[in-house]
Amino acid sequence: MRKSLKKLGGLLLVCSMVGMSLAGCSQKEGEKTASDTASEAVAENKEFSYPMETDKTLTYWIPLNVNVSANYGNLGETDFYKNLHEQSGIAVEYKHPALGQEKEQFNLMLLDEELPDIVEWEWFGYEGGPQKAIDDGVIIPLNDVFDKYCPNIKAYLKDHPDVDKMIKTDSGDYYCFPFIRGGDLLLTSMGPMLRGDWLDELGLEVPKTVDEWETVLTAFKEKKGATGAFAYWYSVPDLTNNNPFACAYGARRTFYLKDGKIAYGAIEDSYKNYLQKMSEWMKAGLLDPDLATLTNDQVAAKITSGAAGASFAWGGSGMGNWTKAGKETNPDFRLVGAPYPTLEAGQKPEMGQRDNFYPGGLGCAAITTSCKDVEVAARLLDYGYSEAGHVLFNFGKEGVSYEMKDGKYVYTDLLLNNPDMSITHSMAGHVRANYNGPFVQDEEYILQYFSLDEQKEALKLWSDTNMKKYTIPPITPNAEESKEIAKVMTEVNTYRDECTLKFILGTMDMSEWDNYVSTIKSMGIDKVLEMENAALERYNAR
Amino acid sequence: MIFGKPVPLASVCKGDNMKNTIFSKIKRDLKLNKSLYILVLPVLIFYIIFHYKPMYGAIIAFMDYNPRLGIKGSEWVGFAQFIRFFNSPYFVRILRNTVLLSVYGIIFGFPAPIILALLLNELKQKKFKKTVQTATYLTHFISLVVVTGIIKEFTQSTGLINDIIEFFGGTRTSLIQNPGLYRTIYITSDIWQEIGWGSIIYLAALSGIDEQLYEAASIDGANRWDKLLHVTLPGISTTIIIMLILRLGQILGSSYEKTILLYNEATYETADVIASYIYRVGILERNWSYSTAIGLFNSFINFIFLIVANKLSKKVSETSLW
Repeated sequence: MRKSLKKLGGLLLVCSMVGMSLAGCSQKEGEKTASDTASEAVAENKEFSYPMETDKTLTYWIPLNVNVSANYGNLGETDFYKNLHEQSGIAVEYKHPALGQEKEQFNLMLLDEELPDIVEWEWFGYEGGPQKAIDDGVIIPLNDVFDKYCPNIKAYLKDHPDVDKMIKTDSGDYYCFPFIRGGDLLLTSMGPMLRGDWLDELGLEVPKTVDEWETVLTAFKEKKGATGAFAYWYSVPDLTNNNPFACAYGARRTFYLKDGKIAYGAIEDSYKNYLQKMSEWMKAGLLDPDLATLTNDQVAAKITSGAAGASFAWGGSGMGNWTKAGKETNPDFRLVGAPYPTLEAGQKPEMGQRDNFYPGGLGCAAITTSCKDVEVAARLLDYGYSEAGHVLFNFGKEGVSYEMKDGKYVYTDLLLNNPDMSITHSMAGHVRANYNGPFVQDEEYILQYFSLDEQKEALKLWSDTNMKKYTIPPITPNAEESKEIAKVMTEVNTYRDECTLKFILGTMDMSEWDNYVSTIKSMGIDKVLEMENAALERYNAR
Repeated sequence: MIFGKPVPLASVCKGDNMKNTIFSKIKRDLKLNKSLYILVLPVLIFYIIFHYKPMYGAIIAFMDYNPRLGIKGSEWVGFAQFIRFFNSPYFVRILRNTVLLSVYGIIFGFPAPIILALLLNELKQKKFKKTVQTATYLTHFISLVVVTGIIKEFTQSTGLINDIIEFFGGTRTSLIQNPGLYRTIYITSDIWQEIGWGSIIYLAALSGIDEQLYEAASIDGANRWDKLLHVTLPGISTTIIIMLILRLGQILGSSYEKTILLYNEATYETADVIASYIYRVGILERNWSYSTAIGLFNSFINFIFLIVANKLSKKVSETSLW
């Protein structure tokens, strides 16, 4: 009753104000105190349009992507931000954690009394999940905010109910402006690759099964002198979780969907078989002997110099960059993609790397409880889902980073053929399409970003798996569950990582396997699986 | 420890009028030793701000701390965090690793600078002595990140050490991935980096030994070795014992920086120490209360070691910190 009275009052006020302005009476400061509800009503009634008129500067915490940091110290220095500022009218002061220390600096930031207005983070990496971040009082639920200020994302979610289901918690709270992959081609970004020129020279085919891989790697080692024929950036979870040879054995390192239920891959026999093979290969010198300590630069150096002949990496920053670098010293240098391997010839690969449309990784922007201008923050973040914002985030500015050709957005040479830097780096200065952010990624981007035929071919091969069946949707255990899950998984994952590596390196014998499994069971994995499956059921019921 | 000139307390304490209250004594002392108090002030402030004030925060070890709610709003859980630590599957391992690393450090690392100082002391050629001294303590100033970077490069299968091994007919392996070699690498590199710096205090103590003692020993027919055993070592024994007590007080105080820069999953078995565990569960996984509880436990054990070592040394050698 009271509320409606208030609303009525607001409405009257608006009417009277409109009346006054019609009468030419400009009473600007006069009614200020009586007007909270009134101005809100005005804001809702009036058609909002960018650029927004505001003198607020938002603070925005975001890990700086490596491709950006190659040339810029701050996202605010990029052309991307300059355009965003101009088009949205909202000024932003970006704050970046030190490269490689994102996680600890994120955690330490949470100890500050004043949080930044906006934090871009992988909210599933927040111990306890997004629901806990809300319960802890770090970020705000966005349901009202979406309704009030975010017509663009609302429209997108209405058209895409599957995504809508993914970006909520069980209790129905939206918690972030998500990074969304806007097409099937964008779901797969990494896969196995190897030296095409070596294959031709040795008269070998692109390997499809694990046995064929063994033949090829052995040939690389013996005939081409590769000290570790297969080398990759082991310490990156994304890569190691999707290790192509693990995929061949149907082995997962983490949780995955098995017959519609969540299972923990690292204690299953398939994982054992995979480790067995890896330790054989390690002994035979087919894997890089320094696997555990390799950095990205070292892998790149090994591939381009011929110390390694095969790797597992991203199509852009791996295959693209390495090919460019390798060609400088050896014009014949060529990398080709191989399909995710299988055990038997002629099978379609079951597993591989595949994201959800909402990958749930980095690039999801949330508004914190410290934010005083929620509307400004919401308008800024909603811009990425508008039509103009979609173009800006994916293609940049017309005439500078893209041109219109036959109704298509085409990147200019400034991005694709920049003599000073790789595509990955030049692109990152103008758009956010080649990493992430609060917007919908456009498929057109990947088709142009992968400028080499080998890359396009590889993408097709890598995407051709049944992985969809095994991918867990972004479920959200509740606060109690997540606390318990985090507690157990801290210990389980440490133990798994340690033993996995020791099995591969041969410092732990495969006969220890049963012991390993029972240790993980004793740490409480079954209880965790129960809770995960309960959360999955709730998700399915959404 | 007493700073400044001794205050003639007896004379002050005789009367019992207003002047003899504690405040007037302090006032009098302040006036008397003004410059010394000013000198010690920055150190005092440092300790208050960085060592005493943070102690208040240690109470979150008994809570389930949430930074948004603050210390006042967070829930008290008693000893639950400590119990969780004692029940952790890694409790025994990280305790063992921490103690072993410290013990090896004391056995091999502690005597190293003493030996270097004694050797330098025997050198008669000044220029050579200075060069060696400078060269050995320069390494102390290299950033830990750089040092561990060098160590990793050297110990990889393509590194310098493997070049040498291969030259003598061995096979190349990644040494830094071998848990059996981790402690050797850790301690050896520690000695390499800190030997010169650590020897400075002993060199200072050596320069304080009276030359007449050596002359007297020579007259008594002592050779260089005898002089070392019976003049030099007793001359610096007090310094050695105090350094040893301080070292024992840090028996659980391994540095997390070097560990997290040097270890990997394959070497957790021997490398993971209390400090690196705290870093992982505390800072990386945000268990503020849990990691504080572990830290508190760690300090408590160190505290006991320090007191026991001091007591023992007092009994045996009449040298002690307090």
